[in-house]
Amino acid sequence: MTKLIDRLRRINDGLAVVAGLALLACVAFTIIEIIMRQLGASLGGTDEISGYVMAIATSWGICYALTALAHVRIDLLRTRLVPAGRAVLDLIAMLSLTATALVIAYRTWPVLSKSLQTGARSNTPLETPLWLPQTLWWIGWVWFAVSALLLSAAVLMYLLQGQNKKIDAIAGVRSEG
Amino acid sequence: MIAFTASGLLILLSLSIPVGIVLFLLAFGIDHFFSPFPLMRGLGQVVWSSSNSGTLVAIPLFVLLGEVLVRCGVARRTYEALDAWVSWLPGGLIHANVATATMFSATSGSSVATAATVATVATPQAEKLGYDPRLFSGAIAAGGTLGIMIPPSINLIVYGFLTESSIPQLFLAGLVPGLLLALLFMLVTAVLCMINPSLGGPGRHSSWSQKFAGLRDLAPILGLFAIVIGSIYAGWATPTEAAAVGVAIAILIALQLGKVSKAMIFDSLRGTMRTTAMIMLVVIGAYVLNFVLTAAGVSRALQELLQGLGLGPLATLMVIILLYIVLGFFIETLSLMVATIPIVVPIITQLGYDKIWFGVLMIILVEMALITPPVGLNLYVVQSARKSGSISDVMVGCIPYALAMLFMVAALIILPGLALYLPSTL
Repeated sequence: MTKLIDRLRRINDGLAVVAGLALLACVAFTIIEIIMRQLGASLGGTDEISGYVMAIATSWGICYALTALAHVRIDLLRTRLVPAGRAVLDLIAMLSLTATALVIAYRTWPVLSKSLQTGARSNTPLETPLWLPQTLWWIGWVWFAVSALLLSAAVLMYLLQGQNKKIDAIAGVRSEG
Repeated sequence: MIAFTASGLLILLSLSIPVGIVLFLLAFGIDHFFSPFPLMRGLGQVVWSSSNSGTLVAIPLFVLLGEVLVRCGVARRTYEALDAWVSWLPGGLIHANVATATMFSATSGSSVATAATVATVATPQAEKLGYDPRLFSGAIAAGGTLGIMIPPSINLIVYGFLTESSIPQLFLAGLVPGLLLALLFMLVTAVLCMINPSLGGPGRHSSWSQKFAGLRDLAPILGLFAIVIGSIYAGWATPTEAAAVGVAIAILIALQLGKVSKAMIFDSLRGTMRTTAMIMLVVIGAYVLNFVLTAAGVSRALQELLQGLGLGPLATLMVIILLYIVLGFFIETLSLMVATIPIVVPIITQLGYDKIWFGVLMIILVEMALITPPVGLNLYVVQSARKSGSISDVMVGCIPYALAMLFMVAALIILPGLALYLPSTL
């Protein structure tokens, strides 16, 4: 299990770097767009593409933030508990997150499937086929649900084994922002 | 319904469920129990449209800008340069803490990052020079909060996105109150140190040649700020475009200092994604909750309840401010903002207050939340950089600065022009 979670971490780390590089590409596009505009021309659609990159980077990044323990939690009560109590709260947090992630993955599918069926294109000069960005975006949310399920399973297993330190390592709270 | 929402929010938060997830769960609950028709079918579309946004890209770009700058070591140079300029005041180096925090606020959109950066370079000096650790570290924690007030501010982008207000206007509205707050912090420091000189160190005098040598280190950051904010103000660039230019300049600065490497860039990208994703989960949750609250009529019910109390606009505003101060003891900035915006902002605008003005007011209130115990992120960030002493030193040291913030809140209510004059010239 520990190995599996380690691998999950590495995969999500890779997702974050790829999404970050896409953002850097947006920076380059935007600057080219500004320069072209001064010259009286325009690439067009930079804003639209940046929007897609943001949507995709968000769903991928949320997976990374999950394994990097970066999602904010209010740990006012949690810090006052004994380790076993903390482990139980971590389990509750992880289970609620998993349930929500499953709902999101399920409810975002119709957005993509509708674009696939109707071949919808964006209402802009680019006429982007919407399924293109939406597929990458949806994969991020599905992966978020998968990551959450794996982490929940691991937390549950460690809890039964009484390994509270391991729970803290994969599902605890880190206070630095 | 209101009781359900409020108690649900507090209980789920105190269980330490991630804040973004709490907002989703509340939305599910309200939809299930109170909505006449199922709203969750629209969830997918809401999630898509709340993250597919060319405006929100400004968030990761401003975060990245800060990440790159922090990694190229300009913090120490800036601190030394500002030390030469401001430390002759009573209170000595403490002024350099506030000034450096102000400077970094103007390039980074995050308060925690600002406090962390300044704390790392400043705290070793406090012990060496025998400063009172309380006021010294309090000034860093409080100065750091300016990060979300002085533009670019990520929190103001989030506020603008959720309330559909203009981000350039919000940025300009935050500029004067942010700088005034910084001056107020320095004034408080100087007065306290004149009353009790043992709080600060001796005034430090630097020669003019030292001062001008320092300017060379300040110039890149000042230039960066001028280009980013200036181009937004002049209408040449959208906030997103200005952020992209800012990132490019930051990378150029790092290149010139010889700090760019693959590891450095990748680390900056990871840090950026971590912060961005953390913010976005909360923002999407707030967007979904916003959608459900409006559709199920909770916002309207709350407005009617408040109107039923028969308070005037000013009294209602006072109640809301008090609410933020109390909640601020327990809930962190961004969470506090997004959880309350869907409920509070409609009430405020209905009372006849300006949305942009209230955005700035709310930022000062959540800045206070950053330095009020038991939950005040900046307190912990500064403490972890100090490596000795107790966290209660930092807490005590923050009190005068928290009072200065309250003063600023009052000033904004009496003189709304402090925030609204600059945006009106846009």
